[in-house]
Amino acid sequence: MTTEYYIPEDSAPLPPKNCDVLTTACDYCIVACGYKVYRWPMSTPDGGPKAHENAYGIDFPSFALQDWVAPTQHNVVMHNGRPHKIVITPDKNTRHVNLLGDSSIRGGCIAQKVYNPDKPTWDRLKNPLVRINGILQPVTWDFALDIAAEVAKHVIKEHGANAYSVKTYGYQFMENMYAITKFSFRDVNTASWTWHDTPSKATSTPGYRDAGFDNFAPSYEDWGAADTLLISGTDPYETKTIIFTSWIKPGIDRGMKVISLNPRETGGVTYAKKMGNGLLLDLYPGTDSIVLGAITRIILENGWEDKDWIKKWVNNKFETDSGFGQGTRNTPWQWRTTWGKFQTGGFEGYKKWLMGQDEYKLENAVQISGVDAAKIRQAAEWMAKPKADGSRIKASLGLEKGNYWSAGTPSTNALASLGTLVGAGGRPGQMIGRFGGHQRGGQNGGKYPRNKSPMKVPGRRRRPLDTDRWLKSGHTRFAHVIGTTWMQAMAGTVGLQQSFEQLVTMNPHQIRSHDKQEIIDTLKKRADSGGMIVINQEIYLRDPIGSRFADIVFPAATWGEVDFMRANGERRLRLYSKFYDAPGDAQPDWWIIAQLAKRMGYEGYDWKNSNDVAEEMSRYSRKSRKSYHMIKIAAHREGTTLHEKLRSLGTDGIQGPVFYNYDTGELHGTVRLHDTTLTRADMDKKWGTDGPAGANMHSKKYTHFNSQTGKVNLQKHPWEIISTYWNWLKPKGDELWHTNGRINEIWQSGFDDTERRAYIAQRFPADAQFVEIHPDDAAARGIESGDLVMMYNERVPNFKDTILGVFSNDLHFDEALKNGHIELGKAAVTAVALVTPAVKKGVTFSNFLNTVQPTNVLQGAITDTITGNYNFKLGIAKIKRLGESKYKRTFNSMTFVPRNLTA
Amino acid sequence: MSTDTGIDNTTSRKRKARSGTAHGKCMITRRQFLLYSGGTAMVASTVSLGLFPGSATATTARVVGYPRKLIARLSELKDNVPVDFNYPDDLDNSSAMIVKMGGVQAGGGIGSRRDVVAYNYLCTHQGGPLQGSYVAEGPHRILGQCPLHLSTYDLTRHGIVVSGQAYESLPQVLLELDGDNVYAVGMMGLIFGRHKNLLES
Repeated sequence: MTTEYYIPEDSAPLPPKNCDVLTTACDYCIVACGYKVYRWPMSTPDGGPKAHENAYGIDFPSFALQDWVAPTQHNVVMHNGRPHKIVITPDKNTRHVNLLGDSSIRGGCIAQKVYNPDKPTWDRLKNPLVRINGILQPVTWDFALDIAAEVAKHVIKEHGANAYSVKTYGYQFMENMYAITKFSFRDVNTASWTWHDTPSKATSTPGYRDAGFDNFAPSYEDWGAADTLLISGTDPYETKTIIFTSWIKPGIDRGMKVISLNPRETGGVTYAKKMGNGLLLDLYPGTDSIVLGAITRIILENGWEDKDWIKKWVNNKFETDSGFGQGTRNTPWQWRTTWGKFQTGGFEGYKKWLMGQDEYKLENAVQISGVDAAKIRQAAEWMAKPKADGSRIKASLGLEKGNYWSAGTPSTNALASLGTLVGAGGRPGQMIGRFGGHQRGGQNGGKYPRNKSPMKVPGRRRRPLDTDRWLKSGHTRFAHVIGTTWMQAMAGTVGLQQSFEQLVTMNPHQIRSHDKQEIIDTLKKRADSGGMIVINQEIYLRDPIGSRFADIVFPAATWGEVDFMRANGERRLRLYSKFYDAPGDAQPDWWIIAQLAKRMGYEGYDWKNSNDVAEEMSRYSRKSRKSYHMIKIAAHREGTTLHEKLRSLGTDGIQGPVFYNYDTGELHGTVRLHDTTLTRADMDKKWGTDGPAGANMHSKKYTHFNSQTGKVNLQKHPWEIISTYWNWLKPKGDELWHTNGRINEIWQSGFDDTERRAYIAQRFPADAQFVEIHPDDAAARGIESGDLVMMYNERVPNFKDTILGVFSNDLHFDEALKNGHIELGKAAVTAVALVTPAVKKGVTFSNFLNTVQPTNVLQGAITDTITGNYNFKLGIAKIKRLGESKYKRTFNSMTFVPRNLTA
Repeated sequence: MSTDTGIDNTTSRKRKARSGTAHGKCMITRRQFLLYSGGTAMVASTVSLGLFPGSATATTARVVGYPRKLIARLSELKDNVPVDFNYPDDLDNSSAMIVKMGGVQAGGGIGSRRDVVAYNYLCTHQGGPLQGSYVAEGPHRILGQCPLHLSTYDLTRHGIVVSGQAYESLPQVLLELDGDNVYAVGMMGLIFGRHKNLLES
């Protein structure tokens, strides 16, 4: 761990002329900026300041936007067992993503991520560990794997596959995700499986999915190419910085308007406003659908909708119904519309519905959302009021978790409908999508066995198993946790942690023996007695999942330590090169899974290296948005491998889906999905003149939408789905809204940013969760910036039961509360106050993932009835002053300047 | 201490002679004062050197060799009006500013109200120019947003990044007050574009 006692360096080594240069992309946010790693042996002198003396080929001092090495951009690593210096800087020559070699503070400092026993990364996990007599002790891989496999087999045999619960990251490289899903779905075949950010395998953005929009259809160039960009639930400057600085900011500079729906103002919003092109719709958490619906209503009242687009690309009543009531009824679209809640009879049906909903009338929307009427009117004009010459505004719309983690279903539906009505979704500069969070490292190696889930919503639909409730109910006997903290990342955290304690540490069957068989027998007894075994694949020992609960810990190798593939938020695929030796015995997650799988008797895990995994999985990517199978085809025709071919594409990589033209021998990427402007000739160039040749595959989504007809389903966005919960939750008395989100400097990843970077820890000390509070709310409570405050919630709702929904309201909040399925708990967390007018009055805001002071304890563990995910952004808190924090009157760390202050 | 009266805007070559070990020892005290003094008014000579074991040698390196350069007269600084100068030399990327922040106390601040600070002008992210971006609002004193990628820096807290992209705090120019004369005597943090602050030429 680092501390804030940090003194900056005043020199940095320059890479010498002939050092090794490897390409990679940043490990962190979805944008995945292109980077170069410069590596040279310690025995070789550093480069000099003259152009001919260094690897950059430029004279130092360098000028603005040229290469430079900051003191935080170098490190020392072992490469082939020998110490080397490395410098990692953004690639100034990349033609995509981070133009001119731009970089965020997170990626800019990524050289500090690598293992170095002299640096704060010294505590990387290096050996498999088994907890004997309460202490995690280093053992061999064979010893740890044999125990895990024997106990796992026993649990599955005696308690069923669903007793084997897998909680995993969903993004940490395709090779790993393929191995994890192949093992979990094809072989273990468990329904108790989910990603790091949701209790069940949820659809994050149902509105997009059911309308027919791919989350990541747009290209980054689209975000800067509109006349008006509407952003709901994020400031991309804070969260995927380079999309903002490389793409959106140039758009703003040439006059693009940016409308932001957010309860607080941060740097990107400030900049747009400063340039006269920004509008902040400062809403209360959870009310995005209200504001979006009100904008839509004004547009329809004025007849500003894109009539030509609607006529050509929106499903009419017959087309809408063709996706309903037929076939297997197995698609989400069919299931979700069982109760008539979402589908419309085309444009006229939607319009009639919207006009009949009182909440979207301007005066009502103002009252619910807290946004000024004038701002909502302004937004409607910016989105759709025809220009003076009668031409249409080109609008694009993007959303992120502030939208879909506060009232996911109505909010995503409302955005999809608004976007469709203004003609967005399928043309350059007129797109609809997500900005994204983590990079896209998913790759399915099997099919989730939804029908094995005992959970069901009203109608005929089974719903993916809620792994949190399943665990709390005592059904999980073996928890396999991969690269996530589980507890702190979920909502209503206290209840979940208590269950871990009961099932793991308080169970009498604890390992007391050195003998492998005795250990196995003990753990089997624990499972059979109703307890739970925890195995944890990680790069650091995390608290409490690793340090307090794991029986077995497997050390994982990660970014820079193994060759991996991954895509970014515009589907751009790159090879992330290995450039140094993983610490100790750490191994990639695919290898760990393979060893475990083989010991459990499963076949198909004989991979020798990462490329073997990639070449096996490529064919399963063919229907996905990031299809890369054709890279392998090209590679094999050229006598090379998938990984080497992708490596040759450097930081530019290629945008999936990838096509191969067998005649020209060229690979072609896909700029955007749903591109209705693509012609037959465009596609012929990609895959040959007779349609998709060889292994190339056609998919509707290249030129149409992902719906039953290829046109867009225009959907309702009923506020009633969330309104009972929202109205119950709404602050009463001296409560305030409490919401959370990402902070540019630290949001990804906590274990690197705040815990192992001296400078970042100086700015955001790990023990200093902060809370932004409006000056009026602060004054009423006698709070000043720098004060230590107690935030507490005396009514945290916790949905605790695994129940079947039969009647339409069974899973609704008020009904479940009445029927005793929701427990009200208490939670408290301390924070340092930051008094700022940048946050809306009545709303407080904290960093979303501080594992020391996790404010998720304040958020209700209530899932969206359609997505199955928590409304992470909805919480309330009372706040009282405890005294002064040490940061109030010292100058060496933190700052209490509002994030939106600017010249 | 110097008794110079003229403000020398060129590299103070003759001052380099002062930058030996003896001078360095003096600077350690100053450095400790800058970094770790709290809100209470202290004078440099009373600060304990033993506060953070091991840091003394590290800090020595960051002041030894720096020129001592007269950059302003305290009585001539107007509240919240930055004055430009170059430091530690007149070579590329040395542009810097000194400002009296209207009574707002700052880490490393000098003067009776500890409100006079100096910083290099180049954003530590990609070298964007921060000239003209000084803001004084309520108790807050910043430079930014940088025109290139919008970083902002808190001038009361050693130039720490408030919001944005910067890899480091804004390099702070270490100041020394002698009567009414303000001298630049060292730097904390690497200037953008340089691989070391003190260039050979």
